[in-house]
Amino acid sequence: MMKVLRSFPPTWDWPMAGTESRRDLILAAMIRVVGSKGYKETSVADVIEEAGTSRTTFYKHFDDKHECFLAAYDMLVEQVFAEVVANCDSEQPWLERMEKGLTTIVDLFAVDPELARTAIVEVAAAGADARQRHWNAVSRFTEYLEAGRELADGRELPENISLMSAGAVSGLIFDELLAGRAAELPALLPDLLFAMLVPYIGPRAAADEMRRVAQAH
Amino acid sequence: MPQAGGPKRERWRPPRGRHRLPPEVIARSQRERLLEAAVRVVAAKGYGATTVADLTREAGISRTTFYAMFADKEACFLAAYDGVVDALVRRITTAYDAEEGWPRRARAGLAALLEALAEEPDVARLALIDVGAAGPAAQRRYRGALQRLTPFFDEGRDFAPGGRNLPANTSRMAIGAVAGLISDELAAGRAKQLSDLLSDVLFATLVPYIGPVAAAREVGATSR
Repeated sequence: MMKVLRSFPPTWDWPMAGTESRRDLILAAMIRVVGSKGYKETSVADVIEEAGTSRTTFYKHFDDKHECFLAAYDMLVEQVFAEVVANCDSEQPWLERMEKGLTTIVDLFAVDPELARTAIVEVAAAGADARQRHWNAVSRFTEYLEAGRELADGRELPENISLMSAGAVSGLIFDELLAGRAAELPALLPDLLFAMLVPYIGPRAAADEMRRVAQAH
Repeated sequence: MPQAGGPKRERWRPPRGRHRLPPEVIARSQRERLLEAAVRVVAAKGYGATTVADLTREAGISRTTFYAMFADKEACFLAAYDGVVDALVRRITTAYDAEEGWPRRARAGLAALLEALAEEPDVARLALIDVGAAGPAAQRRYRGALQRLTPFFDEGRDFAPGGRNLPANTSRMAIGAVAGLISDELAAGRAKQLSDLLSDVLFATLVPYIGPVAAAREVGATSR
């Protein structure tokens, strides 16, 4: 079956009949095709071929490629987010939760490079509103980082600190995806964890976490 | 850096009729005009909507001359992009080299970068945001441009206690954090206020090397 489907086994509902399922099929196809061909090179014809639907069905649901991409992107974010939340237990200490969340994203990206490219790289090619959606998604994830402020013992950290953390992590992931190394992302997990934690806990403690994760994985 | 956002200057053109300028001088000036035109047009219209005809019109050159220099719009844009990045890196380097001590050097380099970007918001958006729409080659150029800043950050390894033991990727992390902060401001249309971001981008630069406590202290110390 399809990769997008495989990456979301617990939450992905795959109805096989009715118009709703056709819409979902088109959205999943959009994510896959954009991830492999690039947004600019992707045509509506590519998407309906991948989805196995007709042109009429496509235009019944979407005005054009762009509108379909935005809907597909929203779906992608919801799925990744649901997966992260499902793997993070709010009872756990902050450090453990952050590690679990990051590991979930990295593993998702590694098994589904096309989804990863669409999520991180190709979204930049899809216009200002797509980039806005990307930033909104990043902000949703960085909200979870905010609790790390408590580790600073009342010291004043910059307001933007979670954005720094997210920028460092997504920059590293972007480079790997651009170089076609999605499958090797899990090997980078220790570095990614260091990047995410270091603004909050400093290099010494972040390096300890990095070594711990490197041994565990 | 080409004056994309500023007032339109008189474009220099070779004198009409027979002239004595050597052909390579003419070719160089045509190339420079074209690259400046490419930055202006793409910054204003966006990469996707820009045509070769727009570029030749804006640069005042013929189609034949264009295709003698570049295979297509993309090749021209990439050359123009390199020119923008070269100019930015030169400005950062000059400011960085004028100071002593890594935190002060980093502060000066970042201040020069923010100032250059705030002067020309269109060019800034082109350099950091719109480049993502210009295809995979352009995206690789963008990441390559960020990597050119590595030496400025890696000096932090010598400055930081135990800096040698930091992950090899530390400079890439710091650069990603700085680029993220700046892109966020640009995307929100706050290019003119970029200089307000100096304390934050300096903190982001210092923190992976020396941690939040020392970074906050240095941000305070270098601002005096």
